[in-house]
Amino acid sequence: MFDTLPAYFEQMVKQRLPSARTTVLDQSKIFIVPSKTALALLVMIIVLFLLGINFQNSLVYAVCFWLLAMLVVNVLHTWRNLSRLSITAIHIQPCFAGEKAVLELELACDPKQQKFAIELAWPQEDAIQVNLVATQTTRLKLSHSTQQRGRFTPPRIHISTHYPTGLAVAWSYVTVDMSGLVYPTPAPKNQSTEHSHNTAADQQQSGKELSGGTNDFGGIRSYQAGDTPKRIHWGQYAKTGKLNTKVFVDYASHDLWLDWDSLNLPGIEARLSQLCRQVLDAHQAQQQYGLKLPGITITPAKGEAHQVRCLQALALFGVEHV
Amino acid sequence: MFKIHTAQTQNFITYTGMIWLLAAQLIVMLPFTTSLPAWLIVVVIFAAGWRLRVLSGKATQPNTLIKAALLLMGIAAIFLSGLRLPSLEAMSALLLLGFAFKAVEAVKRRDALVVIFTGYFLVALNFLYSQTIIAGLYGTLSLIVLTGALVGVQQTIEEFTPAQQVRFNFWVAGQILLQCLPLMVLIFVFAPRFQPFWTLPMPMEQNTRGISDRMAPGDIEKLSQSDDLAFRVSFKGERPAQSKLYWQGLVLNYFDGREWRQFANEQSAEELQWSIKQDYAYDPQNLKIQGERYEYEAVYEQSGQPWLFTLTPSTEVQGDVLRAADYRVMAKQPLHSPMLIRAVSRPESIRDLTLAPKLQDLALQLPQQGDIRSRQLAQGLYAEAGDERAYIQTVLNRFREQPFFYTLHPPLLGEKDTIDGFLFDSQRGFCSHYAGSFVFLMRAVGIPARVVIGYQGGEWNESGKYLAVHQFDAHAWAEVWLSGQGWVRFDPTSMVAPERTEQNLEAALKKEGTFLEHSVFSSRKFAWLNSIRKQLDSMQYGWQRWVLSYDSETQTQFLSKMLGELSFTKIALLVLALFGCLVMVWMVWLGLTRKTNPEALEHRLYRRFTERLAKKGCERRLDQTPTEYAQLAIQMLPQQAEHIMAFTQTYQTLCYASELRQRSSLLRELQRLLGQIR
Repeated sequence: MFDTLPAYFEQMVKQRLPSARTTVLDQSKIFIVPSKTALALLVMIIVLFLLGINFQNSLVYAVCFWLLAMLVVNVLHTWRNLSRLSITAIHIQPCFAGEKAVLELELACDPKQQKFAIELAWPQEDAIQVNLVATQTTRLKLSHSTQQRGRFTPPRIHISTHYPTGLAVAWSYVTVDMSGLVYPTPAPKNQSTEHSHNTAADQQQSGKELSGGTNDFGGIRSYQAGDTPKRIHWGQYAKTGKLNTKVFVDYASHDLWLDWDSLNLPGIEARLSQLCRQVLDAHQAQQQYGLKLPGITITPAKGEAHQVRCLQALALFGVEHV
Repeated sequence: MFKIHTAQTQNFITYTGMIWLLAAQLIVMLPFTTSLPAWLIVVVIFAAGWRLRVLSGKATQPNTLIKAALLLMGIAAIFLSGLRLPSLEAMSALLLLGFAFKAVEAVKRRDALVVIFTGYFLVALNFLYSQTIIAGLYGTLSLIVLTGALVGVQQTIEEFTPAQQVRFNFWVAGQILLQCLPLMVLIFVFAPRFQPFWTLPMPMEQNTRGISDRMAPGDIEKLSQSDDLAFRVSFKGERPAQSKLYWQGLVLNYFDGREWRQFANEQSAEELQWSIKQDYAYDPQNLKIQGERYEYEAVYEQSGQPWLFTLTPSTEVQGDVLRAADYRVMAKQPLHSPMLIRAVSRPESIRDLTLAPKLQDLALQLPQQGDIRSRQLAQGLYAEAGDERAYIQTVLNRFREQPFFYTLHPPLLGEKDTIDGFLFDSQRGFCSHYAGSFVFLMRAVGIPARVVIGYQGGEWNESGKYLAVHQFDAHAWAEVWLSGQGWVRFDPTSMVAPERTEQNLEAALKKEGTFLEHSVFSSRKFAWLNSIRKQLDSMQYGWQRWVLSYDSETQTQFLSKMLGELSFTKIALLVLALFGCLVMVWMVWLGLTRKTNPEALEHRLYRRFTERLAKKGCERRLDQTPTEYAQLAIQMLPQQAEHIMAFTQTYQTLCYASELRQRSSLLRELQRLLGQIR
């Protein structure tokens, strides 16, 4: 039916361990085998048995059988330590490609139970050990490296325990039904300042003037009563003898358009990286900015939520529709 | 609330783990100090102390050179202590040395496991030296501490204080071992017992205890100073009278003028076994069974010798034993642990109605020369008496009428003419003198006779309903072959000191006051201690009877008594069924069968709280803390603000800061508050 044993095992794991937001480890989900330590102890038990035979000594037999019984009973203890542990995926922190995506999990156990030395791991990525002693729930974070922007689907988490004696190892896999965003890697900073001049041209055209401002010079009009003496154009008065007042305007926003088309860079990823850098810079500068991608336009706005929206669009560009 | 640490650091032994290891090592090594050099304890303290200093940053880890030097010094010291290979002691000492030094090296968890597993082995090894109840209890304690150490090095629970950690490790180890106990008993009862595959060096200490295979002047007197136990007997049904309790051990045929031995030439245990099987074997046809029947079970202490002691003659014996032509019963191996046999004796049976020529030769042997006076006396008395029976009576009467004394301190008789010296000069002696000279006088006139050594009497333990035979009950008597009667027992000692056989040695030595004179503090000398001693002895007997002497013979007997006809299928099914029951018991014990909601009550209530608010349009995201959620909910539902705040606060108190005593009242409060949210 299945070509190889590993394939069969893989299939079994998938059937028994469907992905879910909350997984409760029950009988069908926990695997348990004796550890290498147990094999070493078993060798010792055999030596003891030979000792018992050769010296015909009942108490040596008793020690030998007691240790043998311990190997058996210990399996139940190790199993119990994982049994009915519930794992809930809480949240995945978005990250930039190349950084670590952080999954937050909540572990919980039965009211009267305690769990010890439970290890959660993504092999070769991150591993942590946790106890549920004082409380029945605890939260923990597990990180995983990312390579590509897009959606980060966490691989299955290897959850294991050697408690109490290390003579058996119980483990299970948990696949969380949750994905996180991986934003494009932001381009380095110096590159971005160079290119931002290109876009500066767009800036004035789309700005809307607000009169009565204080920042930018807007023109000259004839003096009206109440104008502050500071703004009287004394130079002109000296030439013409007429009192004129300088008028200043503010722009409603420095509406910055971060535009895909205005970038002169090869490749999609390079452009996305560049745009990502610009979004971050603009956000940091507390500017109002909009984002134009082929087929997607995000109107200019400000703030955390807007930044997330823009970064999400960049992350998922070409991957899926937002 | 909780701490997370990376898995890598878990592979090293922590400071507390090291202290556990040290404690376990000391506890395991302590009982060895009685049989092995005590300086090994100093080595373990030194080694573990060094490691602890390294762990606390006060010293550096020793390098390979230092470690090698230490090890060599240790090995040299073992040999200087007088231990030689291949002996069990030297091997144990080397193992202990390695065990002690491993503490310095114990850096990683794997090293700790080596120490702990060696510890388990040493606990078992110590049972080769001592198998008392106390030793058993101590071994159990050692196992608990070792298992606690195993738990301790496996994980350190950061939430616990050191004291809590110690209690926790003990609790876990104790619980596991307690749960193992029924399975251990199950395996113990049913696991097949094999014969030894090869001979191993035996503990030196217990090489010879009790009666040896020869009788030189002074041997039995020495034995009589000891109140060590020799064996215990429980009778099924009737028990013979005290004066009839002659426990035959060995028959001594050969006399060299000073010392009595079994045979002319010295024989090793293997040679003796071989000759018993060849031409000295028990033949039931020589036995004419008659008279009273006594059935009993005897458990012999480990004596390091193969001799067993039975009421002669035995008609049936169950156990791993040999039976010889002289009606002795002996074990096939020296006793290094207690041994149990079952036997039926018919003391009035007639043995060897016709005497085999070989046995006759053995029973008539005398040295070529020496003891002229005794030989002349014998001939004179025999000529006077006329026949064998009258002659025997004359000799016995002579012991009674002449001024013979029964004493633990007979004068020395020299190397030559010892029989003459006793019969004519000193006339003071112990049982061996009387038995030896009696047999000499018989043989001097051509009557086949032999010396028997063993024990006579025993102390009846009323609470345990058994007879305890001690070393001071050691005795020697004589057997004479008479035509028409076969071998007949004569005890010349009873002519001199009738109390010896009718009561015991203590009564016989009352006048002299020499009973156990060297053990001033013997509990026998104080009445109130005596009853406690008997109680303890009774427990010890049960321990030996049911635990220590449980070998393949006893196993077969026990199982067939319980199950009737034994078959592999029957036993296999029974073991499986019992194991199944055990698994059920464990599951219930560990709460693995319980179907409970994985959520605690407060969390369930909180979930209902969020569901109620969600209906009003305020959903909780999983990553919102209760406080964040409460703030959001208050903004959206200002009219419920008070209840929302109160509920959230009570919930958080329950989660993070509640004392166990307050819990139930807080939970009630939480339920009430939930009711107010509509």
